[in-house]
Amino acid sequence: MSNRRNISPPKWADRFLELYCKTEFLEEIQGDVHELFEARIAKQNRSMAKVKFVWDVLRFLKWSNIKKSKRLNSNVITMTRNNLKVAARVLWRQKANAALNISGIAVGLTCFILISLYVKQEVSYDGFHQKKDRIYRAWVKEVYDDGRVFFNTTTPLPLGYRLEENIPEVEEFILFDSRETLVGRGDNRVKDELNIVSANFFKVFDFEVLKGNRANPLDELSSVVLSDTYSQKYFGDANPIGEMLSLQVGGAIHDFIVTAVVEDPPLNSGFSYTMLVSLENRPLFYSDGMMKGWFNIGPETYVLLKEGTNADGLKPKTEAMVKSLIDGSGVFGDVPVEEHYLIGFQPLTDIHLNADVPGGRYPVGNPQYVYILGAISLLILVIACMNYATLSIGQSLKRAKEVGVRKVAGAHPINLVSQYLTESMLIAFLATILGVLLTIVALPVFNELAQVNLAFELSADNVIYIILVTSFIGFLSGIYPALILSRFNVSSILRGGIVQSGGRWVRKAAITFQLLLTVFLISSTLIMRKQLNYLQSSDLGYSYDAMISVPLYADSHRGKVSEEIGTAFKNADMLKNELSKNTAFSDFGSGSHVFGSEGWVRLGFDANTGNYLQFRFLIVDPYYLDAFDIDLVEGEKFDPALDIHKSQGVILNETAVAYFGLENPIGKKLPSDKFGEHQIIGVVKDFNFESLREEISPLVIVQNVLPIFQGISDFNSGDSFIPKLVFRYQGSNLSEVSDLIDKSWSGLFPNEKLNFYFVEQSLQNQYEDEARVNQIVSIATLLSIVIASFGLLGLTILMVNSKIKEIGVRKVLGASSRSILQILLGQFSIQLIIAICLSIPITWYLMSSWLDDFAFRTDIGVDPFIFSAVITLSIVLTVIGFHAFKAARSNPIRALRIE
Amino acid sequence: MKGTYLGEFEELVLLTVGALYPEAYGVAVMDEIKQETGRKVNISAVHSAMRRLDEKGFVKSEMGGATNERGGRRKRYFELTAFGKKALDDAQSFRMKLYNRIPDISFGTS
Repeated sequence: MSNRRNISPPKWADRFLELYCKTEFLEEIQGDVHELFEARIAKQNRSMAKVKFVWDVLRFLKWSNIKKSKRLNSNVITMTRNNLKVAARVLWRQKANAALNISGIAVGLTCFILISLYVKQEVSYDGFHQKKDRIYRAWVKEVYDDGRVFFNTTTPLPLGYRLEENIPEVEEFILFDSRETLVGRGDNRVKDELNIVSANFFKVFDFEVLKGNRANPLDELSSVVLSDTYSQKYFGDANPIGEMLSLQVGGAIHDFIVTAVVEDPPLNSGFSYTMLVSLENRPLFYSDGMMKGWFNIGPETYVLLKEGTNADGLKPKTEAMVKSLIDGSGVFGDVPVEEHYLIGFQPLTDIHLNADVPGGRYPVGNPQYVYILGAISLLILVIACMNYATLSIGQSLKRAKEVGVRKVAGAHPINLVSQYLTESMLIAFLATILGVLLTIVALPVFNELAQVNLAFELSADNVIYIILVTSFIGFLSGIYPALILSRFNVSSILRGGIVQSGGRWVRKAAITFQLLLTVFLISSTLIMRKQLNYLQSSDLGYSYDAMISVPLYADSHRGKVSEEIGTAFKNADMLKNELSKNTAFSDFGSGSHVFGSEGWVRLGFDANTGNYLQFRFLIVDPYYLDAFDIDLVEGEKFDPALDIHKSQGVILNETAVAYFGLENPIGKKLPSDKFGEHQIIGVVKDFNFESLREEISPLVIVQNVLPIFQGISDFNSGDSFIPKLVFRYQGSNLSEVSDLIDKSWSGLFPNEKLNFYFVEQSLQNQYEDEARVNQIVSIATLLSIVIASFGLLGLTILMVNSKIKEIGVRKVLGASSRSILQILLGQFSIQLIIAICLSIPITWYLMSSWLDDFAFRTDIGVDPFIFSAVITLSIVLTVIGFHAFKAARSNPIRALRIE
Repeated sequence: MKGTYLGEFEELVLLTVGALYPEAYGVAVMDEIKQETGRKVNISAVHSAMRRLDEKGFVKSEMGGATNERGGRRKRYFELTAFGKKALDDAQSFRMKLYNRIPDISFGTS
């Protein structure tokens, strides 16, 4: 009893009560619960009393007891409620207008969301790794005195190991390499891509391990990790963990044990993997020279830097490392190696959109396209907002009385502004709901058309973004009309005088801008189309229609390059003999590269003059040039009957002749004494063996690689140079081709997987990026046309309504329907003409700079502009015409009867 | 103005307020109900009921003086209004009327 006074109820519960309870009830309620508590302390134990006290406090938490914030309870909340009610009534009263506004903004928003998804995917590459800010990719740049620069992001094998040893800021390093491997034993072996990665790959990068060893999936030499898709491919629904997978590495088959299944790389990751093994197996994959050499390229090297390290600040340390480790005297001569062998780091998240650093295995997109698309989507959103603004200003006359009455009743301009903003916010909100639904419906179509794979989910992030965008739209589209309306002069409105609607000039400018953007988008789409057509249909200098290419296999992966190529040519002959039994196939040939693939072998050599020269290199059989119908300028093509052609013959293209500075090249040699015995036997006309973005490079064509290999100083290849068999197919049934080739193939090479490509298809794939951007821009154009039409339609309705009396009077006085139609259409013609005129120089400038990316480009010409003007004009006429026509034909009595 | 319908629990609280005059405040009413009927009610329910009765005009209330208990906090004392008294009378007489019409036979006593 004595210490009863000292026991107090739980403080936090008391405070909570004080926090929520209305002040007028607080004293009695708090008094009662305290009294009860004191009574309970006397009878029961303390903790029970405390629990009951809390319970009582919670029971008092009722709506009628809760403090209503003074702020919330003020005029603002009441007025907001009132504004919403008024806004809803206005929308309901002007259904057609509201519908046009809402759908216009919804369509704009849909376009914005779709393109944003694409842009977001592009800019968020590998942004999901927790340590992304500390992960860098190393690059190596060799700079030679004669001007040669080798800048690579695929790096020498020792680089990662030495960086970790010598630079304390490097916490870990990860090598990432890939290689084609045959999977399985015996029959039906499949050729697949195998990734060779450092064992810590899954510790540094956050790819989720779905099954198996989560902590350290690549711990053992024999570990192989599969992606989800590949687990399905090889093991179906069965649990693959602990199962064996045989991989052919080098000449031998090794057994690996599946230790984990990881998620497929997300769409916005630049790492593509399907099967991964540890780099600790490196003796199986790399020769000794590769493992020690500093002048080879192999895997990509990523480093995880310690917290707070500035990657640029590591330069002195990498220089010191290069100085101590690399003997550059044989390569650079007697100069300090650290000035010629540079090592640098590029942030992981920078790789995808940085076109200045050469690509490695990680795909590099075109940052320009991302910016262009982002700008277009924003512009479309802006014109959707302008629609609303112009329409509401147009409506303002109707609402002048309302404004006047409100002002007389004491409304401050701020109240009016907030009222009209509420209206636009409500519209934006409704439009957002519609737009999001539209997006969900349209996404599969968009994915299909634009050849992308985007996903849209209503995650917390997205919802917040969308709410922000919605408020932005609401504000942007509402603020101008709101300001105009609130500035109306009370006395002049109520006296019945004419309202000065100050928005006329702005409104006209807005329509002009809208039309301008529409015309610009239409003509840009047309120009892009034109260029794409040009790319796909221009004469490349060879005939590729119905040509099929089949990549062959070389028998050994570890022999000399020349032998490897030789075995593949033998395989090509075998397949050719088999296939030529069928009359549907003709024009056989085989060569190290086929059109439509980037990265033909590039060789470099030091010419007798001391210059360093580079050329592309093609190894063929005697039939290749004829199979593709490549024209000869002088000399002769390879003659199958002549051994001298086979061992020593060299054919150049015209560019090579000029580049090497040869005159009358037939019978001469390449400009270096180091080459083996050879002779130029012919010159072919230039043909576009690379994409039309590039100028034609000098090309050397041979049957025998040895004389050339003797004289070269470096070798560079982005594409496999193992020969492919090419032939023409005379038939129309595509599934038959596949069956025929498959039959011959499986008879000859039962253990290898057959791949074949249509050359035409590969050629088109070169412009995939451009085609995709063109598709997206076309979609955006279409949507912007729709939005602009909505706006025009709204304005026409408005205009016809406001001129209904004028039309009536004119008709009574004898005006014809046609002259009235002219008056109505004339309203927009000046704006349209200005828009078209302004769009031409803008389009011309922007599209010319886009076309500059292509070495071979079409003329812009006048036709895109004429087309787009005609298209826009017909759209404007259609949209306006119907309403104007109706107005012009209407009976004047109806218009004039009511006064 | 809310309806003047008197709920069962409200009637009970109203009766108690009348009976406890002039000492009718939250905890006292709650205790009294518990004592007389054995019903366990939460203090918040009593408060809500009394506030409803106040709004309907059956009771009126005012804050009392400072107290020694409950941390010196004042109590809100309730008392019956004439309207409240009438509502109780009506309920009573209505009940008695119906009660008196119950035939003796139904008890089976005579």
